[in-house]
Amino acid sequence: MNIKVIMWSIFFLIVMGLYKMGEGVIFVEGLRIQFAAVIIISITIYYYIDRARSGADIYLRTIPGLKALEEAVGRATEMGKSVLFVPGISDLDQVETITGLNILGHVAEHTAKYETSLNVPVSKSIVMEAGREVCKEAYLRAGRPDLYYDDMVHYVTEEQFAYTAGITGIMERDKPAACFYLGKFYAESLILAEAGNSIGALQIAGTGSYSQIPFFVTACDYTLIGEEFFVASAYLSKKPELVGSIKGQDIVKLLVMIAIALTVVLNGFFQSGWISFDILSYL
Amino acid sequence: MFLKRHVPLLIVIGVGLLTLFGHFIQYKSIQDFVNNDAMQWFDIIASFAIFLGALNMLKLQVIKIIKKQKNWQYSILAVAGFAFVIFAGFFYRGANFITISGFENDKLPELSSIIAEELNEDSPYFIQTKILASQTENTEYEIDKRFLTAGAAKRFMEKLTPYVENINLEAKIWGSHVLMEGSLFYWIFFYIKTPLELAMFSLLAFFVASASYRAFRIRNFEATLLLIAGIILMLGRVPIGGLIPWWVGSTIFILGICAIAAPFIRGRKILVGMVGGGIIFSIIMGTLMGWNQNPPSIFSIPVIQDWIFAYPTVAGSRALKIGIGLGIVATSFRIIIGLDRSFLGE
Repeated sequence: MNIKVIMWSIFFLIVMGLYKMGEGVIFVEGLRIQFAAVIIISITIYYYIDRARSGADIYLRTIPGLKALEEAVGRATEMGKSVLFVPGISDLDQVETITGLNILGHVAEHTAKYETSLNVPVSKSIVMEAGREVCKEAYLRAGRPDLYYDDMVHYVTEEQFAYTAGITGIMERDKPAACFYLGKFYAESLILAEAGNSIGALQIAGTGSYSQIPFFVTACDYTLIGEEFFVASAYLSKKPELVGSIKGQDIVKLLVMIAIALTVVLNGFFQSGWISFDILSYL
Repeated sequence: MFLKRHVPLLIVIGVGLLTLFGHFIQYKSIQDFVNNDAMQWFDIIASFAIFLGALNMLKLQVIKIIKKQKNWQYSILAVAGFAFVIFAGFFYRGANFITISGFENDKLPELSSIIAEELNEDSPYFIQTKILASQTENTEYEIDKRFLTAGAAKRFMEKLTPYVENINLEAKIWGSHVLMEGSLFYWIFFYIKTPLELAMFSLLAFFVASASYRAFRIRNFEATLLLIAGIILMLGRVPIGGLIPWWVGSTIFILGICAIAAPFIRGRKILVGMVGGGIIFSIIMGTLMGWNQNPPSIFSIPVIQDWIFAYPTVAGSRALKIGIGLGIVATSFRIIIGLDRSFLGE
């Protein structure tokens, strides 16, 4: 067995031993399984990051929505129109917003490269500041800092439907050729996507709000579903350590599947009276 | 570089680790920080940051007006709206109210009637009881209405003057006025902002229809499945769904089975024969088995609808939720260990 796997297994056992010893004194009682899950997930992801760093080849399947990012910017360039990027209506305390901003960096790099105008209306001031920083760096990376200006990331309003009205207004007036909806969305998702559809824009969406995904799937050309959205930044950056974390994430998913199957089987045995051990009492 | 890159990164890593492991550490100060203080810090920072956003919005709109850029007329409305709300929030309170004291008992019924009429209250007796209670407690009676302008309040005061000894006009304190009926801010909120937002929200109904039309267009097997599931869900959720006879349900089943089998059947005639034969066979069998009197629940549209909602839908949404949850965990992990710094512009 791989020496690193043994090392990490020993580390896990030591940490869990410490938790058991300190349970009720230093550590909260009754959260052992949650703590073990956090440690296992962290170790698995870190292990694959480490493997990727040491040069292991990691296969990533093609994600059409992410491949289409450059195509969308290219289309806007050919048509001489702008690119609209909406990072959702939540603040920077949501992982979806951070993921959206990460992808904004890649979109901004393409708009800088193709000299296409980029419009990023935001609904939170902190997101505006972070978005500006991301775009500035992206334009610098693309070697076109002269094309960057602060107001390409601009504030509209905090209110959900006022923000939606503002963006649909921008769409109707400017008729962008490509629209990106990448962040956290609620009821406004369908209004935005349908407005974009009505102007014939190429639309790419991605969100962590699972109830909004069907709306985006219906109205957009490409939708990043579920974890596809969260791996976007790592996928696009092609940095080995980030790509490694995607592999780690997939392995965790496999572990979750095994845990679900095992729980179903063990609970079935328990309910049939074949075993006296109730797995659900541990969850 | 140090202040712009390393310090924010250290804060992110420190607070991230503290929040993650604070959940497991039995130490009140840490848990207080994680559950309350950290959230409040964020709220405070976000509240101050709003000035940046508001100023940015105002700057862009004013520039548009000054330079008379395309559609600059709309910007006048945006700036005027901004100024109007600032005026209502910081400079004009409204929320005037009237207090009265010193009543003669024989004039009380008339006084109560006038107040009840102003408050749109059906029973003056209710007002009279309140006035008497204030008299017993030796306190002033505050009329339960806020007036937007002092002029409107004064006009009402004139009606009350013959019935009371002391009558005063006051205004609610600054700050509380934004949540109080009768203030200008409240009026803007409920009579301008709320209807506008509801108008925007109601657009969803039309967009749902157009999006459903696109989604339900029969293009491939998945779209057909979506269309059938959609129709069953819509029918099963309305009373008429319960009246649909069993043979419609059995026909849907046969169509579903044939749709799955269709790619494996080469001859079109065989497929048509399968569908037609299956439907006729099921109807004859059902009639012979007495399903007209006692139909099996499996062919009831509301039951099928419940099943679709409880199993395939839940299975699909849970798969999505698990994927999203893992995505959030992995992204958070990358951020906490400082591996993913794209949000800092790197």
